[in-house]
Amino acid sequence: MKISLDWLAEYVSWDDEPEALAAKLTSAGLNVESLEEFKQSFPGVVVAHVTDHRQHPDADRLSLCQVDDGTGEPVQVVCGASNVRKGLTVLLARVGAVLPGDFKIKKSKIRGVESRGMICSANELGLAAESEGIMELDTDLAPGTSADELYGFSDTVLDIEVTPNRPDWLSHIGVAREVAAIYGTKVVMPPVWSYQPSSENLGLKIKIDDYVECPRYGAFGATHLEIGPSPDWMQKRLRAIGSRPINNLVDITNYVMFELGQPMHAFDRAKLTGDTINIRTADSGTTVVTLDGQERKLDEGTLLVCDESGPIALAGVMGLANSEVTESTTEIVLESAFFNPKLVRTASRRLGLISESSYRFERGSDWNMVEKAALRALQLYQDLAGAHVLPAWADRQDPDRKSTASIPLRLWQVNRVLGTTITTDQAAQHLQALGLKVQPMGNSGTGSRNAVDMMVEIPSFRRDLFLEVDLIEEISRSYGLDNLPSGGGYRGAGGGVRRPDELVHTRMRHWFAASGYNELVTSSFLASGVLERLEFADDDCRARTLSVINPHHGGDTQLRTSLLPALLEVARRNLNAGSEPPVRLFQVNRVFWPAGAKRTDFLQEDDQLLPEEPLFLQFAIAGWRQEGLDGMPADLLEIKGVLEALASHLRLSVALEPADTENWLQAGSQWCIRDRNGKSVGAAGRVEAGILEKFDIDLPVAVVEINLSAMDLTPEPMKYVPFTRFPAVKRDLSLLVPAGTVWGAIQETVIDCAGPLLDRVDLFDIYRGKGVPEGKGAFGIRLKFRSQKGNLKSKTVDRAIGEILKGLSGRLQIEPRSQD
Amino acid sequence: MKETIDRLRSEGLERIKAAESDSDIEAIRVALLGRKGEITALLRGLKDVDPADRPAMGAELNLLKVDLTALLDSRQCVLRGGGSATNMVGDLTLPGVPPTSGGTNHPLLSVLDSICDIFYGMGFTRDDGPEVELDYYNFTALNFPDDHPARDIQDTFYIDPKICLRTQTSPVQVRTMERNEPPLACIFPGRVYRNENADASHSSEFYQIEGLVVDKAVSMADLKDTVDTFVRNFFGAEEPTRFRPHYFPFTEPSVEVDMQCVSCRGKGCGVCGQTGWLEVMGAGMVHPNVFKAAGYPDDVYTGFAFGMGIDRIAMLKYGIGDIRLLYENDLRFLKQFRGVS
Repeated sequence: MKISLDWLAEYVSWDDEPEALAAKLTSAGLNVESLEEFKQSFPGVVVAHVTDHRQHPDADRLSLCQVDDGTGEPVQVVCGASNVRKGLTVLLARVGAVLPGDFKIKKSKIRGVESRGMICSANELGLAAESEGIMELDTDLAPGTSADELYGFSDTVLDIEVTPNRPDWLSHIGVAREVAAIYGTKVVMPPVWSYQPSSENLGLKIKIDDYVECPRYGAFGATHLEIGPSPDWMQKRLRAIGSRPINNLVDITNYVMFELGQPMHAFDRAKLTGDTINIRTADSGTTVVTLDGQERKLDEGTLLVCDESGPIALAGVMGLANSEVTESTTEIVLESAFFNPKLVRTASRRLGLISESSYRFERGSDWNMVEKAALRALQLYQDLAGAHVLPAWADRQDPDRKSTASIPLRLWQVNRVLGTTITTDQAAQHLQALGLKVQPMGNSGTGSRNAVDMMVEIPSFRRDLFLEVDLIEEISRSYGLDNLPSGGGYRGAGGGVRRPDELVHTRMRHWFAASGYNELVTSSFLASGVLERLEFADDDCRARTLSVINPHHGGDTQLRTSLLPALLEVARRNLNAGSEPPVRLFQVNRVFWPAGAKRTDFLQEDDQLLPEEPLFLQFAIAGWRQEGLDGMPADLLEIKGVLEALASHLRLSVALEPADTENWLQAGSQWCIRDRNGKSVGAAGRVEAGILEKFDIDLPVAVVEINLSAMDLTPEPMKYVPFTRFPAVKRDLSLLVPAGTVWGAIQETVIDCAGPLLDRVDLFDIYRGKGVPEGKGAFGIRLKFRSQKGNLKSKTVDRAIGEILKGLSGRLQIEPRSQD
Repeated sequence: MKETIDRLRSEGLERIKAAESDSDIEAIRVALLGRKGEITALLRGLKDVDPADRPAMGAELNLLKVDLTALLDSRQCVLRGGGSATNMVGDLTLPGVPPTSGGTNHPLLSVLDSICDIFYGMGFTRDDGPEVELDYYNFTALNFPDDHPARDIQDTFYIDPKICLRTQTSPVQVRTMERNEPPLACIFPGRVYRNENADASHSSEFYQIEGLVVDKAVSMADLKDTVDTFVRNFFGAEEPTRFRPHYFPFTEPSVEVDMQCVSCRGKGCGVCGQTGWLEVMGAGMVHPNVFKAAGYPDDVYTGFAFGMGIDRIAMLKYGIGDIRLLYENDLRFLKQFRGVS
């Protein structure tokens, strides 16, 4: 809301600089977003007398004038206006003047005749939207008088952010009330039309179908209107707050709306049919043409103002073209009403039509302003448009409406919420400063929970105050939030304990960063057509998505069911941008499964409609072609090692089982991941080549994906076990392993046969080729033995190794490689 | 039926472990999952189960089927040996290679972590709620009347008229209060959504953190102290914060909190528009209607809540001029944050 300080000063006084006022308003909750100087100035434009006027020698429509601009030297000017004549007093823009629209006045030749300036119309000076011919001024004005003396002014305009609860601040009077409260001054209301008895009446009846839809409707009349431009003071103020002046009739209703906050609408009386105005809702299929010339189809139930022929206005939103006031209007019916905010809002949303009027009505207008604002407008019609005001009007209102509301206030609660030690008197003063009426109660000052200390009467312009706590907020604003005490410092009763699962997530994320992986934050949305690339089976819960129904910017609508597309997209972009492969990435993010498990702990029945939102961990190595041990892809070996290291870091247990469970991973190069309960919680492997191709990636990507919400994240409990101080004995073995035997089987057999002394077994090398028989591999393994009881004898170790070799030979046809 | 499922799971596991050849595997497969297999029979028998138990039983059975299939496949893999199957890249049972070093956490989440840490230190605990949220929790229970202009403050993505993407972390307040009795001191960090165009300072997805404290005599003084403690610890601000009255439907009184500008320490600079102050969060005392929605008795408790945008804080802290950088995941950006925590 733009507030002109020149305008505001008409209702309230304050002794402060504009900047200081702005700061104080901001502290009171009227956030001043900007403070701007609004200037209307016409440098180089002066009053001049037309001393001579003749036809231009070479142009029928132009004339040649000599003007006296007060310098003593006559100035020759070519003029195209039809109303220019000798003896007129006009405004001359001298050579060098700059008019609105950056129009520079230069010395020029027009059809061969020199012209040294321009005689101005009101439009050219930005003083009117339209004008016919040049301005004709009072002949008494002395030539050379600066136009600024006549039309210039400067004003300061505050742009105030008005929150939806304070429609009263959408007017100068509402802001004036706050200024009065801050500076301890009084608000002066503008003059309104006073009733003068006469036998005339309006000749219109009001019929309201339902008081819920329209609790109050007033119709007022004025005749003998003379339409013309509004006076300068009104035009300046409207312009200062960014509203374009049109003519006195239209400007007056706008002016009063910005002044008092009440939107009103004027109908051309001559265009109305019958003697009844009916406020009712639209039938289906109604089509109307609004003031802006748009044809609009209405929903059934849209609130309408109708005469006997049909709709004449969309109640609270906009008038219709069929009853519009025009230059030839002489008689009007002025509507001032209180419409149901919800109906105005619904109509305005559905029609996509937000007007100054609907904006105010949907936030709630001031009941008492219905009459006051109309009388104010009538006063202005009489003063500024020569109108004759009809002394009788029609004002129909809901007879059951309660006029005033009072809220009980307990000092106990005031001080409990604000942490203050405010007294009853202080509280009352703060409220009274804001225009609220306070009625002290008998038990005043006891400060106990059940003692109501005062009843506070709520004025009609404060429809945002319902509860005791609303009054407490008013007291806090007036008291000054920065004056409230600070301290106590609530400390959580339970102590800040992290939830176990969250602790695991956080430690996991930090571990990945320390282990060479870069964390991603990716969008919850999927671009259309992307999910299909993953080819989930129809009964896979990842195949069904949720979509937003109102993406008004053509953005993506589908919520992701898998993190994979985002990961691949990030990998592709970074590889293309020149990141050196391998690129290591990880993310912990949610996905949305409408076909997943439903909440079981719901308190609202509708919670069953919500999707499952499992949290997934995903990490990947992209772009790595290198081979590791025995020709295995290095990326696969690393993701496996990383997952195992992560699990050990977090004291979790995971098992990687070679198994083809995911279509989006390459068959034969994927694992199923199980937690300690044997539950399948994820998959790992290389992304299937066809899918990579669809994502335009021509390098391998190895991915691990785990559903953290499904996995048992309880860390293995820690209990100290006495360690042995006796040294370990290490033995390396070289084994000839037939092709097709996997390391896992070897490891299992070794552990199985070694007995209790084996501490660990590691594979450190695989060699195939020269010196190794065809179809076999030479596996180098390291065994570590240790005993709790004492130093191990060589013989004991030899015996264990003998058992191991026997087992390997018997079960897997593995023989030791001869050491020659 | 539950007992049968449990029995099949443990027996199945034993048998698969004991399998020594492809033919063993096939025999188990047929016995359990074949057309006349035990699990298949159970699945057929589902129609006779009490309809109330049917979905749960169905899910259990399916899980069993998936698990056993995977076990069978993997045992088969081991038995056949990695190199022998034609589609195998190699021996998947080979030992993994340990990780390297030198990655980074995302700055947005690092900031979120350190904010959480400060509140943990003050005794707060954390709770999470759904991102796809009921309109009821996102608006109605937070005292946003239906069809009220207050709803225009946030442009909302809707899934259907009852379900939206949460526009704020505040709905978790109500969910937490519904499930817990005071005293409460909770934080709710997470992702929120607004239906607006992306530009240098707006993103349709971003992060917020919300705080809530409820007890029998919590006041604005406690709120001020909590906020000041946070701002001092996180930003190193030397001056206390400044409160301005504001409007949020779910708090009353509602305030906006300004802190001393982190860039110029209050002297006035380009970052704070020469004012020396930066808006850092919205806050207020919990509205009685929110307590009512949560089922708390009238007049017994008071509480405060606050909420702030993580993205803006991260941008301020690291001098990031464009919010979109936070969601592009460009490694040239991310890697600069190595070691930041």
